[in-house]
Amino acid sequence: MKESIVPAAPMAHHTTPSGEIYPGALNLEPVRAAHQVLHETRDTITADGNTAAALATLQMWRCILFAGFPITPSTKYIETVAAHISQQVGGKKRVKLMEAEHAVADYLVGAAAACRDLIFPTATSSVGLDHMTETTRSLGASGLGNVLLIDVYRATANFPLCIEGDPSDTLAHRDDGFIQIACRGKQQIYDTVIQSPCLGMHHDVMTPVMPGYYGIKDSHRNARLVVEPDREIHAFQDRWIKPCPFPGLVNGDTAFGNCVTSRHFQGFKVSQKRRMDRVLDVLPQISADFERQFGRPGLAFFDAVGFGDDGAADFAVVSLGPDFGTFEAVREEYAKRTRLKVAGIAMRLLTPFPRDAVRKRLERTKAVLVVNQAHHQGRGHLTLDVADALADLTTPPRIVSVFAGIGGADVSEITWEQMLDHGRGALEGRALPPWAVFHEGRQL
Amino acid sequence: MKAPAQAMDLQDIIRTSVLEVRGDGKAGGGLVLAFQSLASLMLRDDDMHVQEWPFFSSARRGANIRSFLRISRRPIQAACEVTRPRMAVLMDEGAARSVDFAQGVPPGGTFVFNTRHTPEECARHYHLSGRVVTVPGDDIGTKHLKHAIGNVSLYIAAARAIGGFGVEQMVDAFLETLKKRRIPAAILERNRAALLASAESIREGIFDEAGPDDHPLQEWSGYGDLPVGAQTPLRLSQSNRTADYAPSGFRLRFEDPATACTGCAHCITNCPEGIIRFVPDTERGLLVTGVDIGTFCKLCGECIAVCPEHLFKEVPFEDRWEEVLSS
Repeated sequence: MKESIVPAAPMAHHTTPSGEIYPGALNLEPVRAAHQVLHETRDTITADGNTAAALATLQMWRCILFAGFPITPSTKYIETVAAHISQQVGGKKRVKLMEAEHAVADYLVGAAAACRDLIFPTATSSVGLDHMTETTRSLGASGLGNVLLIDVYRATANFPLCIEGDPSDTLAHRDDGFIQIACRGKQQIYDTVIQSPCLGMHHDVMTPVMPGYYGIKDSHRNARLVVEPDREIHAFQDRWIKPCPFPGLVNGDTAFGNCVTSRHFQGFKVSQKRRMDRVLDVLPQISADFERQFGRPGLAFFDAVGFGDDGAADFAVVSLGPDFGTFEAVREEYAKRTRLKVAGIAMRLLTPFPRDAVRKRLERTKAVLVVNQAHHQGRGHLTLDVADALADLTTPPRIVSVFAGIGGADVSEITWEQMLDHGRGALEGRALPPWAVFHEGRQL
Repeated sequence: MKAPAQAMDLQDIIRTSVLEVRGDGKAGGGLVLAFQSLASLMLRDDDMHVQEWPFFSSARRGANIRSFLRISRRPIQAACEVTRPRMAVLMDEGAARSVDFAQGVPPGGTFVFNTRHTPEECARHYHLSGRVVTVPGDDIGTKHLKHAIGNVSLYIAAARAIGGFGVEQMVDAFLETLKKRRIPAAILERNRAALLASAESIREGIFDEAGPDDHPLQEWSGYGDLPVGAQTPLRLSQSNRTADYAPSGFRLRFEDPATACTGCAHCITNCPEGIIRFVPDTERGLLVTGVDIGTFCKLCGECIAVCPEHLFKEVPFEDRWEEVLSS
């Protein structure tokens, strides 16, 4: 007797421009249920920057696979993750130590494409990020906002090698397509990592995020860190992370990275730019919600100090990273001594560069001192962005460009004072060189 | 001995401004752990703000490293290195051969040593004015941890010098740092014993032995002539004084009273620093005559391992301080 074949009822699905999606094919509730809580309550601990970043990802129920490859100064991130996961009895989370950074990036593509509702984090640094480049460019364009690539800033591949904090690695990857957010201090690192997937996976954005912090100066600096209960982090992220409207490799009939002709390539890039631009609208919403829930400032375009209520300042510094703290430490005394209103902004959002917000903040400033900390062929990466932001003003402030702290070099109080003196020349109408480098209170 | 100087009140500095501490030691010696534990201890006080971080390069175990610590009851903004510490800590006396560990410390500062020497001997040898605290950490480490590691003791001595916490809290904070590193329980107990023994072995005094020209802040003299493209001679290590990487308390010795050297040249080819001395020899081809241990021998042990006649040995060695001997 012939057996009759009864076809199974087709699974509910619908069509998207990216292919068919089968929403019922993946059930993430068991993943959520398998999460082992790290912190039941709000706790205060001592931690360095790498530990802060690792704890933030460990507390997310959506992070279950941690691919990584060690490189100084980011190694402690994956070590911390591995140490915690190895302690979990019956835990389902896994660490994948890969052969090299390129393999890590490829792993992130595969995993993030397989399940677009989980988050796939890693941390790298310097040449590690460079080794990933072929794939990070693809990731940046992929719409895989569930990739979280933490960059621990270190001078990027060059002679001589240097293992300390210098943002040349992240600045060399401005065009990879990642949202790039700079942090300073443990709390900002922890808070930024928690908020990053909310931004990257937002349906208007769909772009991977590269939060970063300075190697050694922040990755290895211990201070007090407030960690939130896992359930609070989950509640916050669940408000922002909705099921991905596009199919993944497991729940869809789709493919990534097809070859297209010039008739379409440009169109894809326009879409990529528009998604990136929407970060400027979405980020403040996430930030406000974070502050409401946790009582600390959320993501920001920049941190500002010293501007009056009218937004005016004689002289403003633009920089990023922990050395800005040393500027803050000398600012008031310097302002008193020189009888100038001295203000400053420490950039947080590097890509997309918040040009409108920067222009608005600096439009009532007479001179701007941009302190670059990465090697650049000209006046400095940050200077070019600031100059672009201020270009539309009728009477833009004069921009003075300096370099300090390249390769993680110490930027002492006296160095800040020398740079401020140099920049003050712009207020006095002095001719200044297109760029100058400062160290230990001297112009080199 | 000059009249005692005044010592600064470190708790007052913490209350009114920022106490800055700098430590010098060698990679692998536990300086970073000691400073991390000090940070953890201070953060037990909810009103305290702390910053702690190390400075090291890619150099190997034995290279000089530094640790920095800022403590205050006010939020700390400065992120730059500490150049004028009110308290200087020396984990390994070998580290002081390469740097002035007391540089920039003002008169009345506090100096903490892991050493067998007395506070008075340290003050005279290093020309210090202020409070000098010593603890024989390596000996305590050897007794309780089977390893001449002085960071346990140095931590207790530094914590005692800063003040504000009892011995029990100091012990707990250190063990907590070790637990984060997943140190087994049995080792934790040995550390507890070492910590308690250290607390009993601290000596201190106030001295005025620094002259006006001692420990000045050096003005940075620029980068000098840097080679184009970072291209350097292959033997870079010979400008790095690699002898400073050697563990303190030991030295290499070559002895060949019976001219047993066979001229096999294994020591010459294996020495990474090229410091084996030899002369041509008609019978053996070459004859090893000695080794230049003064500047570049980092006690890697290659020559000891490969010499078929066992002519190289690692022997105990103790720096002799002339001042101490004369007194």
